[in-house]
Amino acid sequence: MEYIADILLPQMLHGLVFGAALGLLALGLTIIFGLLGVMNFAHGELFMLGAYAGIAVIALTQSFWAAVILAPACVAVVGALMEICTLRPLYKRPPLYGLILTFGLALAFREIVREIWGGDMRRIVEPISGSVPLLGMMYPKYRLFLLGAALLLLLGIWLFFTKTRAGIIVRAAVQDAEMLDGLGVNVPRVFTLTFAGSSALAALAGLLLAPIFTVVPTMGVEMILLAFIVVILGGMGSLGGSVLAALVIGEAQSLFSLWMNPQRVAIAIFAIMILVLIVRPRGFFGREGVLE
Amino acid sequence: MTGVWFSWRIWAVFGILAVLPAFPFMTGYRLGLAFDALLFGVIAMSLDLLMGYTGLVSFGHAAFLGLGAYSTALLVERGVRSIWLCLLAAIVVVGLYALLVSYFATTRRGIYFALLTLIFAEVVYTFFRYTMAFGGSDGIQGLEPAQLVPGMPASAVDTPLKNYYLVLALLLLAYLVCRTLVESHFGKVLVAIRENEDRARFLGYNVRRYKMTVCVISALLTGIAGALYPIRLANATPDLLLWTVSGEVIVMVMIGGIGTLAGPVIGGAFFMVLQEEVSSYAPKIYQALGLSADKGVGVHLLIIGVILVLIVLFMPRGLLGAVRAARVRAPRLPAPVAAGGAK
Repeated sequence: MEYIADILLPQMLHGLVFGAALGLLALGLTIIFGLLGVMNFAHGELFMLGAYAGIAVIALTQSFWAAVILAPACVAVVGALMEICTLRPLYKRPPLYGLILTFGLALAFREIVREIWGGDMRRIVEPISGSVPLLGMMYPKYRLFLLGAALLLLLGIWLFFTKTRAGIIVRAAVQDAEMLDGLGVNVPRVFTLTFAGSSALAALAGLLLAPIFTVVPTMGVEMILLAFIVVILGGMGSLGGSVLAALVIGEAQSLFSLWMNPQRVAIAIFAIMILVLIVRPRGFFGREGVLE
Repeated sequence: MTGVWFSWRIWAVFGILAVLPAFPFMTGYRLGLAFDALLFGVIAMSLDLLMGYTGLVSFGHAAFLGLGAYSTALLVERGVRSIWLCLLAAIVVVGLYALLVSYFATTRRGIYFALLTLIFAEVVYTFFRYTMAFGGSDGIQGLEPAQLVPGMPASAVDTPLKNYYLVLALLLLAYLVCRTLVESHFGKVLVAIRENEDRARFLGYNVRRYKMTVCVISALLTGIAGALYPIRLANATPDLLLWTVSGEVIVMVMIGGIGTLAGPVIGGAFFMVLQEEVSSYAPKIYQALGLSADKGVGVHLLIIGVILVLIVLFMPRGLLGAVRAARVRAPRLPAPVAAGGAK
């Protein structure tokens, strides 16, 4: 019983927090993939840029909360420029060009950040310190805030896609962009805004996770593989699947690390994914024919 | 097999490469660099079989390279000095692994294929990175030179010159294999699969078997190149297995020219030389400007990233493809990287 309260429960909560943040990252990836047909290798770098933009804003304003607004906005601009300048000419070409192009962009972003901020580890101080009693244990307030924020954001995204006109247009564009164009919607603008939005989501995830992790130029590379696994596991093009898979992976990562060393955890996660793909080749909710 | 063996251009290029070490500017250091350039040329060329001819983008070639390198390193570390045994071990290990990967990966097309190869390779990386028996993150260091004739110290491949000729021989062999392959009926079927997989299937070809075969061939060539890697550097580290290395090989193919075989060799050589030169000069320039030198370490990656973006945008057929297109004059269609096509 003590084992459950002292070890298992906090670890499961950690997993939930991490899974929810991973979900934010994977959602952006899956939307971009569904809409533009681009597997965005630079998504991890947008995540990383979020954390560094946060450091820059905090240095200027001394306020974490200002960074929560401004850093994703900056990264959204970067994302919009990236879409307009580099991805737009590629839509008529086979989807693998997008993969290769964003790999190049990821290299460039990573090294630009290293040039500006150096390769050292950095930290963002938790804006909320201290712990609260929860279910018979003490749990850090910031992690609880993070969990609440991530779940609220996920709820917001769900409402956006089901209840608002803009969200329905994006979903329609995922289904059939040509038809939407024929109905008089400015599809290139939808693409750009969606890309900017998903960049902002990645940046926000990077910034919110930064006080828990360390900020280094390679933090995006480390996350992007997990995010890819989440997207594949959830099923390409399925938003709900991505969120579910992110929570599963977050929990798995967190619980396995109780009993295994980190490398075994990584291998176990790869094994989960390979097993799921053997049983369900399209992941949890993948539909037939999405970019195959 | 139209003139594969008789094309004078190829023999001229190999002739120049063969006499290259005679020039005074080819110091031991430059010969080492040439070794790396040609080695990665072989790897990029073998990836081109998949990317350029079959339309499959593998994001896991680092695993084949690394497995080959670890096979040699483990054998040499345990006192087996024969190059041939090392190559044999690499062929067996890489071949089995490639069979496994391609069995799963070829069930899916396009981006799924790329991601499956990536994740399999990441399993291999994690395994070697954290297995202490294989040196963990340090890998296997300080290897003795391997020998062409076992038990004969005089035949040890221990100088930059011998290393260079070894890899040149591999390049020649690999080029002839690849060229013969793509000119053969087998190669034509691969192109048919690239252009329209369903149609190839309806014509009665067992598409999956063709894909698996070409995957294994490509993997074996990369694995053999990997097996030679520790012979020059006397080590094998898990960094060779990182997925970014797989990405770099794709970059080499794209820079040189997809679907040309010779192009990726140029791309590989270009990449390695650029990386070496920039990363040796950048810190000095930074110091001269009064900046801290440690920031300059990744400049070559920045340059390569930008070059890759520009090539994808403006020169999708790569350097050699652009030259050929200019010579033929007739505009060609954009490069056929596709597998499966868009939705």
